[in-house]
Amino acid sequence: MKVTVTRSGGFAGLSTRWEVRVDEQPDEDAWLSLLRDLPWDAERRQAPQPDRYTYRIRCEPVPAARPEPREAVIGEQSLTGGWRELVDRVRSLDPSPERATPSRRDRGTSSTF
Amino acid sequence: MSTHTNIARCFIVPPYLLDHIAKLDDPRLEHASHAAQRALASAPPYATVRRGEPAPGQKSMRSTPEAPRREAVAGEPSRFISDAGGSENLPGRLVRSEGESPTADDSVNEAYDGLGDTYSLFWEAFTRDSIDDNGMPLAATVHYGEAYDNAFWDGTQMVFGDGDGQVFVGFTNSLSVIGHELAHGVTQYTANLVYSGQSGALNESVSDVFGALVEQHSRGHSADEASWLIGEGIFSAEVEGQALRSMKAPGTAYDDDVLGKDPQPADMSGYIETDDDNGGVHLNSGIPNRAFYLTATAIGGNAWESAGRIWYETLTTEIKANTDFAQFAEATATVAARLFGDDSSEADAVRSAWREVGVTSPAE
Repeated sequence: MKVTVTRSGGFAGLSTRWEVRVDEQPDEDAWLSLLRDLPWDAERRQAPQPDRYTYRIRCEPVPAARPEPREAVIGEQSLTGGWRELVDRVRSLDPSPERATPSRRDRGTSSTF
Repeated sequence: MSTHTNIARCFIVPPYLLDHIAKLDDPRLEHASHAAQRALASAPPYATVRRGEPAPGQKSMRSTPEAPRREAVAGEPSRFISDAGGSENLPGRLVRSEGESPTADDSVNEAYDGLGDTYSLFWEAFTRDSIDDNGMPLAATVHYGEAYDNAFWDGTQMVFGDGDGQVFVGFTNSLSVIGHELAHGVTQYTANLVYSGQSGALNESVSDVFGALVEQHSRGHSADEASWLIGEGIFSAEVEGQALRSMKAPGTAYDDDVLGKDPQPADMSGYIETDDDNGGVHLNSGIPNRAFYLTATAIGGNAWESAGRIWYETLTTEIKANTDFAQFAEATATVAARLFGDDSSEADAVRSAWREVGVTSPAE
């Protein structure tokens, strides 16, 4: 199982991706417990603040019984408590994150105007 | 536009700041101190530090005889710079207030000077008295977070990180960055463009436009002399790149082994549909950015006097929160015709610029 944190936005608009293989961690149980307790399905309605980061936190697959990957998108100003702890842990274990351009949404033809 | 209720709700100056200002006994700061005392005494939701107490919908009390005497002169900023000391607590410790001498901290002085330059552009070019056009104090915090690679506007103040030292070396080094952040406040008080998708990219672009204009105005650069770069000086020497964004040639600001290549599109054929970055607001802003550059250089002279005027009027009088690229293009053309005449070279420049970036079709 792995946890991926993709941070996009910010003044620079640069995307950075950190990744951790949870099953390779010595404290795997603590990770699983942290992941299980997070409010993945909570509604997050906070309005975005200009130039702040957006975090996309993805966990696949977790918990083991659940086949679907879990994902939450959280504005920087709402990244508190367990979410902040998770992101800090993932970042500290992946010192060389991947820089990536934002993933394009797959929607066939791009009709934008 | 019903933005006034939003403003009243989002724009309360933090009580810590009012409290501090109210207690100042420096005669140079008497005006701010009085304003803060009044604000503290008044009831919410209008407990903002404002000069005079305009009713919602009323722009200013400047000419109203019975208005309280203005404690400060319009045309002069009220700046307050705080230091977060590497924490994420806002606003941090107040370290330099309006009129105080420079400190030993470059970031503090850069923020102070940059806010002054930004105030000057809005006042001298557009007669706008601060973010709210009513003398609102300009608050900024420096040294936010640990190796924090960002600067942002939190709805009440500007916040600047120091950078990680490897890729970014601090966000107050660039006047265009400071102008960009303050312009987010102006947008919030005017069109209040929704920070998502095309209206979000316009919100970003407007901040880049005024950020660039602050730099040009401060340096006395005409449209032809200007760099049209956003964030020049915030990259470390290791990074292969001039700046974060280029309004003249979006997508060319940097090309670096670590950072990758500047992803901004220069026209609608490259428009990026993404769920990241609030729908690519920092990416697709390249398209309206280039339309502004094309307009300004086609007209020539000082960009803040012509193209800047058109964009400012558009932002403050002509558009709504959910305006998209095509509606914004139409609004700028309408404003250009109103200000300079339908057959003017200015109006032609605007229409031609939006065609060139693919927002309007050649037939229009």
